Amino acid sequence: MIRESAIRIPFRYAAGGAGSRFLAALRDERRILGARCDGCRRVFAPLRSFCSSCGASPLEEIALGPGGRVEAWTARADGTVFALVRLDGADTALLHRLVGLPGEPRRGMRVRARFAAERRASILDIAGFEPEEGASA
Amino acid sequence: MNPVAIVGTGQTRHARARDDASQAELVREAAARALEDAAIEPRDIDAVVIANMELFEGRAWPELWVGEAAFAAGKPCVKVATGGTSGTSGCIAGIHQVASGLFDIVLVVGFEKHSEGHTQTGMTLTDPYWDRAVASGAVGNFALSVSQYMAERGTTERQAAQVAVKARRNAARNPYAHLQMPALTVEEVLASKPLAHPLRMLDMCPQSDGACAIVVASGTRARKLNPRPAWVRAAATRHEQPFIGDIERRLATMRTLREAAREAYAGAGIGNPLKELDVAEIYEPVSYAELAWYEALGFCEEGQAGRLIEEGVTEMGGELPVNPSGGVLSTNPVGASGVIRVAEAALQIHGRGGERQVDGVRTALATGYGVYAWADAIVLADRP
Repeated sequence: MIRESAIRIPFRYAAGGAGSRFLAALRDERRILGARCDGCRRVFAPLRSFCSSCGASPLEEIALGPGGRVEAWTARADGTVFALVRLDGADTALLHRLVGLPGEPRRGMRVRARFAAERRASILDIAGFEPEEGASA
Repeated sequence: MNPVAIVGTGQTRHARARDDASQAELVREAAARALEDAAIEPRDIDAVVIANMELFEGRAWPELWVGEAAFAAGKPCVKVATGGTSGTSGCIAGIHQVASGLFDIVLVVGFEKHSEGHTQTGMTLTDPYWDRAVASGAVGNFALSVSQYMAERGTTERQAAQVAVKARRNAARNPYAHLQMPALTVEEVLASKPLAHPLRMLDMCPQSDGACAIVVASGTRARKLNPRPAWVRAAATRHEQPFIGDIERRLATMRTLREAAREAYAGAGIGNPLKELDVAEIYEPVSYAELAWYEALGFCEEGQAGRLIEEGVTEMGGELPVNPSGGVLSTNPVGASGVIRVAEAALQIHGRGGERQVDGVRTALATGYGVYAWADAIVLADRP
């Protein structure tokens, strides 16, 4: 005997201090914020309140990109391309999507953030990363 | 640390859907077999550890609903839920409980019934801002790392397909395994459905229903309960930062598994794992991962993993058979999968491996891999 059931679960999550500043800067200024750790000299994307490597806090807030390089990519069967993008100025990569590709992406290719026309304080305020002007895909 | 050994193992038949059994019945099936194998009674168990990822079934407190099936009623019982490492970390928790001198006999049971819930939903309940909004889930997350690893090492799709074939062929000798494909070929793997570049359907583990249990015993009890106890020589565990973009070339460096293995080998006095280990049961959720783990576990130099599979070094008849059970690529009830690795490694030392027994096993390795690159490494041997 099998009993079928479905549950709809509503949630509300706080982005926190660093997350809220990051999202507000995306929405209001089209700026991508990161964090520099004075302790280990690493620069993280996105902005965060403590260092993911050495644990130091607080961190210095800096602007990153909007250009960067593709570190790794994968394509889903429906054609959606996901990538790890290392923004200019960052030591870590941001997980996001590649858009406006003329062909198959390649590791190391230059890309640039394309901001969404309507922004709602979400990581998807970056609509995706597209090949930089003059970059060959 | 007091001497600790695994003296009994038990597992269920694993399948896509075990509609014939409830979660509790599945757990009882494995637990009862482990007790029978160790020749102990329920009253001999001092404490119980349950390993399960309850988000996958959508039922809270699995230790409540299945605890009694694992003989836990009226006894100390805890749950470990660390994704893919749930099972190996659950075993390590049980090992620590006995090693501390707190308990003499601990039963560890891992289970999952993926068919009852929605695993992809559970996998998607990650960080809501940075992960969930963009992409999450096991396949895509792995695919990103795999494409990077392939490019750096020059690993070919064919080498990965050979891993996929080895697993399913080995599974054909394991009566409990889910995917038993004795005639699978490399060509069939390469022709299977693309999921996320470069991963194909047959590169991935299945989702299985199943449970597995081990009986962990103190040194004095172990000697009385099993003629060839599987002594725990070392057990190490490592967690990692949450975001894939923060981890430097994750699959190529695999620092958690590398570090856990280094600590475990040092504890067990192993200098050359390829020569000194007789068998390994490693947690490979993707064909490519097995190749990356060969390097992280020191079976070969970086970039040489493809050669290991091509030359048959890790096949049943090879120098170091890896996953005689068929591995996670053949059977993956997540909460149970890590326990299965440890149980299968112990089974090889007990000499109770049946058709999948490797001759003369004295030292065995079991590993776990979970969530975003967490790792466990456990070395078992025929001597304390």
